[in-house]
Amino acid sequence: MAHEEVHHGHHEVSVWPVGVGLGALFAVLAFTAFFQWQMPFLAVIFAGLTVVTLLGGLAGWANEFFTTGHDEKHGRIAIVFFVGSEIIIFGTMFAAFWRAWVFNAHEWANWVPHEMNLIMPVILTLILWASSGAIVLAEKAIEHGNVGAYNKWLLITIVLGALFVVLHVMEWFHLWESGFTLSSNMYGTAFYMLTGFHTSHVLVGLIAMLYLLWIGLSGKIDETKTTAVVATGFYWHFVDVVWMFVATNAYFVGSIPALTGGH
Amino acid sequence: MREAIPTGVPYFGASLKEWIFTTDHKKIGILYLVTSILYFVVGGLFALVMRLELTNPGLQLLSPDFYNYLLTGHGAVMLLWWAIGAPTGGFGNFLLPLMIGARDVAFPRLNALSWWAYFGASVLVLITLIPGNHIKMMWTGYPPYALNNDAGNLALYVFIIHLLGVSSIAGAVNFLTTVIRMRAKGQSYWKLPIFVHSIITANVIQILGVPSLAGAVTMDLFDKYLGTAFFDPARGGDPLLYQHVFWFYSHPAVYVMLLPPVAMAGEVISAMAKNRFFGYKAYVIAQWGVVVLGFIVWTHHMFVTAAADWIKIIQSITTMMITVPVGVIVLASTLTLFKGALRFNTATWFALGTIFMILPGGLTGIPNGMLGIDYGLSDSYWIAGHFHFVLAMIITFGIFAGLYYWFPKFTGRFAYSEGLGNAGFFIMFVGAMLIFGMQLIAGLHGMPRRYVDYPPIPELVSAHNWMTVGAFVFALGVLISFLNLILGMTKGEKADANPWGSPSLEWWTGSPPPPHNFDKLPEVDEDWHPYNYKKA
Repeated sequence: MAHEEVHHGHHEVSVWPVGVGLGALFAVLAFTAFFQWQMPFLAVIFAGLTVVTLLGGLAGWANEFFTTGHDEKHGRIAIVFFVGSEIIIFGTMFAAFWRAWVFNAHEWANWVPHEMNLIMPVILTLILWASSGAIVLAEKAIEHGNVGAYNKWLLITIVLGALFVVLHVMEWFHLWESGFTLSSNMYGTAFYMLTGFHTSHVLVGLIAMLYLLWIGLSGKIDETKTTAVVATGFYWHFVDVVWMFVATNAYFVGSIPALTGGH
Repeated sequence: MREAIPTGVPYFGASLKEWIFTTDHKKIGILYLVTSILYFVVGGLFALVMRLELTNPGLQLLSPDFYNYLLTGHGAVMLLWWAIGAPTGGFGNFLLPLMIGARDVAFPRLNALSWWAYFGASVLVLITLIPGNHIKMMWTGYPPYALNNDAGNLALYVFIIHLLGVSSIAGAVNFLTTVIRMRAKGQSYWKLPIFVHSIITANVIQILGVPSLAGAVTMDLFDKYLGTAFFDPARGGDPLLYQHVFWFYSHPAVYVMLLPPVAMAGEVISAMAKNRFFGYKAYVIAQWGVVVLGFIVWTHHMFVTAAADWIKIIQSITTMMITVPVGVIVLASTLTLFKGALRFNTATWFALGTIFMILPGGLTGIPNGMLGIDYGLSDSYWIAGHFHFVLAMIITFGIFAGLYYWFPKFTGRFAYSEGLGNAGFFIMFVGAMLIFGMQLIAGLHGMPRRYVDYPPIPELVSAHNWMTVGAFVFALGVLISFLNLILGMTKGEKADANPWGSPSLEWWTGSPPPPHNFDKLPEVDEDWHPYNYKKA
C-alpha cells in the first residue's frame, strides 16, 4: 500500500461549512421574521446569529485552508464557472430593464429624473479601471514572491473599491431624495437593482480582498498559495466588466430620451 | 486482478460527530439520498391526501386553501428534493469521484456547504407546515398571484429556491472542476461512464440556469416586500417577464432531473447485459444536444400567454427537435441490450421501466409542443399526465434502478429479496400506468389542472376513482421497495467488491469503499473503457 497517497484526517471533517450554511439559513429567517412575520425582535436575533455563524464560519474556513490545506489550483477553474453563473443572474436584471425600456418607450422619458448625473458613471468607471489594474499588479507581485508589493497594491485596490462604494452610495442618496426611488417606476426599479446588485458584488470583492490583505500582512501567503488571489482578481475583473454594462444601460441608455422615442 | 481490495473500516464506520461535520463525498451523498427519500415520502403523502379528496366530486376532506398548499408542496418537494436532490446530490456525490478514480471532489468543504444549504432549505419546508406559513402559490410562484397575501408566505418560497440555488451552484462548480482536474490517469473524456457525462451536462444546465430562477423569484420577493415595480403594469412592469425568466431555467431543469436517472438506467442495462454501450459517443453528443435545445424551448410553457407569436412558433419547432437527441438516448439504451446476456433482476426491471416510461412521457409531449393543439390541452389533466410520466416515472424508476444496482456499493450487501424487489417494481408499474394514464384520459375529457373539485360528470368521476386506486397501488409498491432495501442493509446477502462484474472504476475498490476510496489511485490503459466487457 502506497501510504503517502492516502491522506485522511483534517480533510474529512470540518465544522466551518456548517457555520456558513447555518448563517445563510439564519439570514433568510431574519428577512422572513422582519417582513413576513413582522416580528422585528426575532429578526434582530436571527440577524445576530447570522453575523456570528456566517463570519465565524467564513473566517474559520479561510484560516483552515491557509494553515492546513494544499493549494491544488482548482480554484482557477471553479471561479470561471462561478462567474458564468453570475453573468446569468445579472442577465435577469438586464432582461427586466430592457423589456421595460422597450415596452414603455412612450412614457420612459417622463421617468428620467433631472438629477441624473452622467458624469458620475464616468468617474466611477475610471475608479474601477484603476482598481482592476492595481489588483493585476498585486497578483504579479505575489507570483514573484514579493509580499511587500503585494500588500501595497492590494491596499490600493481596496481603497479604490471603497471609494467607488462611497461615491455610489452618495449618488443614490442624492437621487433618492429627489424622488427617484426603487418603487417610482420600472426605471427606478431597474436602475437601483442593476447598480445595487453590482455594488453588492463590489462589497463581496472588498471583503475577500480585506481577508487576502490580512493574510499578506500576517505573512501566511507565499508564491505557492496564490490561487485565492488569482480567483479574487478574476472575480474583480468580472465586477469591472459588468459595471461597464450596468453603467451604459442604467445611466446612458436609461436616461437618453431620444433613444426611447421621446414624448 | 487489477483492483486491490482494501481491508479495514468501511466509509460509514464513523462517529456521529464525523457524520455531521463530514466533508467526505460518500457520507454527503448518503445524507442527500436519505433526505431526498424522506422528502419523497412527504411529497407522496401530500399526493395521497389530494387523491382522497379528488376521488369523488364535492369537498370531503380539505379546504381549497389547504389543497393549494398540498399541491404546491407536492410539486416543490418532488421536483427539488426527489428529482434533483437524489440523482445529482445523492448518486452524483457518492459515485462521481469513484467513477473517475479520485479520493474526493475538488472542494470537499464546499461540498459540505452544498449539503448544509440543502439542509437549510429542508428546514424552511418544515416551517411551511406551521399554520399561517403555508405556501400556496404553486411551485412556479407566478405573479401577480404569488404577491397576494392569500398565496401564503412568499418569503419562505423564495428562500427555499435561494438556498437550493446556493446548494446547486456550489455543487455544480465543484463537480465540473472535479471532472476536469481529477480524472484517473489515462481516463480521457471519452472514457467517462455515461452517468458522469450526465452529471456534467446536468451541472452545466445548473450553472447557466439556476441563477435565472433565482433572479425571477428575487423579483417576486422585492415586489412584495420592498415595493419594486417588476410585475406592476401601472409602473411599467410586466408579469409575463417572470414566466420568461422562470422557464428559462425551469425548462432546462427538467433535463437536470432527467439526464442522470436515464443515464443510471443505461449503466444498469449495460452491466446487466454485460455488453458494450451501444452508440456511446452518440449518446454523449445527444446529452449535449438536449442541453442546447433545452435552453431554447421555454416558451412552450407559455403558449396560452400573451407572449409574442414569433417566439412561440420558433420554440414550437425547437421543442419538436428535442425528440431527436432523446430518440438517440432511447435507442442507444435499448440497443445496448442487443446480443447481450441479460440478467433479469430487480435493477434490470427498474432500468427497463425507466426507458419504457420515456415512450408514454415523450410521445404525449409531442402534441403539447404543437402550438395549435396545445391551446386545447394546456392546463388540463393531459399535461399533468404527460409530465408525471416524464418526471415522476422516468426519474423514480431510474432512481430505484440506481438504488438496486449500487446498493452493494453503498452498503456491502444486496437488497433483502429479489422476489420483493420484483413485486415492488411491478406493483409500482401498474399503479403508475393507472394514475397517469387516467390523468391523460381525464384531461381529454376536459378536466382542468389544479382544481380541488370538479362537476359530477361520469367520465371524470370514473377516471378520478381509478387514479386514486392507482395512487394507493403505487404507494404499496414504493413501500415494498423501501422495505426490501431497508431490510437489505442488515439482512441482505453479503456482496463481493464487484458483484456485477463491471469494468467501471467505482468497482475497483471495496464495496463499501474505505474512507479514502482507493488504496492506490487507479490508472487505466488504452484498451480500458467503462463498458469494455470483453477484457474484464
